[in-house]
Amino acid sequence: MMTVPIGDYVALGAVMFFLGVVGVIVRRNPLIMLMSIELMFNAANLLLIAFARAWLENVGQIFAFLVITVAAAEAAIGLAIIVTTFRPEKYVDVDDIRTLHG
Amino acid sequence: MTHQVLGVTGAYPLIVALWLLPLAGAAICWAFGPQLRTLAGWLVSALVGASFVLALLSWGAATQSAGGALGAHQPLVSWMPGFDFGLLLDPLSLLWTFIITGVGFLIVFYSIGYMEGDVAFARFFAYMSFFVFAMLTLVLSDNFVGLLVGWGLVGLASYFLIGFWFERRSAVAAARKAFVINVVGDVGMMFAIFLIVANVHSIGFGDAFAAAGTYGPGLLLAICLALFIGAAAKSAQVPLHTWLPDAMEGPTPVSALIHAATMVTAGVYLVARCAPLWQHSAGAQMLVGTIGGLTALLGAILGTAQWDIKRILAYSTMSQIGYMIMGVGVGAYEGGIAHFFTHAFFKAQLFLGSGLVIHALGSEQDVRKMGGLWRRMPFAFWVMLTGVLTICGVPGFSGFFSKDAVIYGALEHGHPWLCAVGVVTAGITAYYMFRMLFVAFLGDYRGDADPGEHHAHAPVWIMNAPVAVLVVPSVAIGGALMTGGDDSPWAKFFAPLFGGPAAVATSGAPISETTTSVIVFALVVLGFAIAWLRYATRPAQADAVGRLQRETVRMPAILTNLFYFDAAINLIFVRPAQLAGVAAGRVLDPRVFDGAVRDLVFWARWLGALVRSFQTGLVRTYALILVFGAACFIVYYAIAGAAR
Repeated sequence: MMTVPIGDYVALGAVMFFLGVVGVIVRRNPLIMLMSIELMFNAANLLLIAFARAWLENVGQIFAFLVITVAAAEAAIGLAIIVTTFRPEKYVDVDDIRTLHG
Repeated sequence: MTHQVLGVTGAYPLIVALWLLPLAGAAICWAFGPQLRTLAGWLVSALVGASFVLALLSWGAATQSAGGALGAHQPLVSWMPGFDFGLLLDPLSLLWTFIITGVGFLIVFYSIGYMEGDVAFARFFAYMSFFVFAMLTLVLSDNFVGLLVGWGLVGLASYFLIGFWFERRSAVAAARKAFVINVVGDVGMMFAIFLIVANVHSIGFGDAFAAAGTYGPGLLLAICLALFIGAAAKSAQVPLHTWLPDAMEGPTPVSALIHAATMVTAGVYLVARCAPLWQHSAGAQMLVGTIGGLTALLGAILGTAQWDIKRILAYSTMSQIGYMIMGVGVGAYEGGIAHFFTHAFFKAQLFLGSGLVIHALGSEQDVRKMGGLWRRMPFAFWVMLTGVLTICGVPGFSGFFSKDAVIYGALEHGHPWLCAVGVVTAGITAYYMFRMLFVAFLGDYRGDADPGEHHAHAPVWIMNAPVAVLVVPSVAIGGALMTGGDDSPWAKFFAPLFGGPAAVATSGAPISETTTSVIVFALVVLGFAIAWLRYATRPAQADAVGRLQRETVRMPAILTNLFYFDAAINLIFVRPAQLAGVAAGRVLDPRVFDGAVRDLVFWARWLGALVRSFQTGLVRTYALILVFGAACFIVYYAIAGAAR
């Protein structure tokens, strides 16, 4: 059985996380931003599981499930917000959602 | 010398009843005044009279003596160890109770006639009844706190009654002045109580007096002085006397009851009650005696310069209380108390007699606008004449016995100067009292109002009867009780309380009591003669109006300005207080207190604006900052890890 070195997982996770960060910062479509956030979640999940496997600790796997749950809840709320802001204008851009500015 | 204070403990429902009856009267008059109408006066008279009867019935309890204790002691409430409240009826408080309820009854009865037709008839009697209750609290209390409560309540009742006709500005001002000066005294008393409680851990008279010898001279002097501030304010002693003449703004029965017979003698009661404290402090005795003598003299001198009949009587009250304070101050307790006793009668009589005149003339109080009243109002004239004879101490009348007891007592206890002051004051007293009598009652009528027309309705029997009753003790009670020196009923009554004559540390008097009396009487005759020559002879009466007006102008400025006491108090206390108020209102409050609040608001706003500017509402900005923060963490841990 071939063993993938832990460094590869870390590299893949870093790349995925970086892509997510760039997506959140540069895109103005909230749907894409949500997807980028999911990407970051999954990068974190990948690392959790990889380290759990490498160190033979199951806590990392349990944490991954926890993160998936939270991510699902967050996605539900995020989509709800997007839908409510989309409805009146039939158009949505996060830079226009700034009613809570100081 | 023993001073037995806390008496035989037990159940004495009579004492509680006589104490609470006037309170019930006040409550009923207050609650049902409009319904009661004139019945309010009769109700309060009946309750105060019942109180008097109960006091008579308590005589036996008050004078009983068992196990070294004297009188009757009724515990009421126990708060904590050392703080027990109760009622104490011993010969001293019994005497005051007699005057408060007895003379009080006569004056309240008189008021039914005097206050007839007043819009606030029931309110007047509610206040009067409340006053009687407060005064009974003062004298019946067996501890200092109860005494102070009564002390404050009589001041309150006095405030209500001086300002009874509150639509008059002068009445309101007088009431306020009386209240403020009395509160000065209350504060002094409070400090005395603090000192006592701090040392004996008890508010009871018995505990405080039992430890009288253990205080140490400095502390004892401080306690006595603080107590005497209270006594001086309440009893109108120099320099806290200025409220008393102004207090004559109240209705005349109020002046008779509160500002002549009872409340203003509370200071005398206090000094007599706290005799064990004073007896251990010669310095305090000296001071109290001197203040008393000074007040007697100043009051009498000021009395010679007044034209308002009630103010003349007010200054004479001040002067006579000076005698009492002098008596109890130097240690002649029987004498000082005796003068309180007779004074209560004859001064109430004089005030009620003047009330007859004032009532008949339609509130005219200026003696220059009276004159010749002896023909129109013979009853009032005879009342005033007997009152004047008594206050002057003409031999045979009551005032003679008590006043000479004080004057000779001062000599006996080694204060010849105070004795001399008392003698001179007696002469001046005769002058100004006869002056008032002559100007008001002799000669021709000089008033504007025709007494025969609308005003001088003959006083009804309701007003005459109490005055007539008062004349009897005022004339005769001194002779009946106080003759015979140490064997007199008076001396025997108080011997258990203040110790027998043997216990009094007399330093021996250079002249006998008879000689003193003769000197006093000679000066009284002299005063009478001067008054007669100036105001009663035919030439003096002929040009009365013009001459009397001119005389006011000619009076020395120091007399018309009342020895500048008011001006001095204004200068020393009132003006600085006003300036401090202005300073606080114009500088301290707006700049410091409001300024601090305003500064706080400014900086809170500034901080809010600063923090608010971070809230751009741009989601991507937040994300950028978040990433930047996370990058910082990563860099930090990378460096830290590399260093390790």
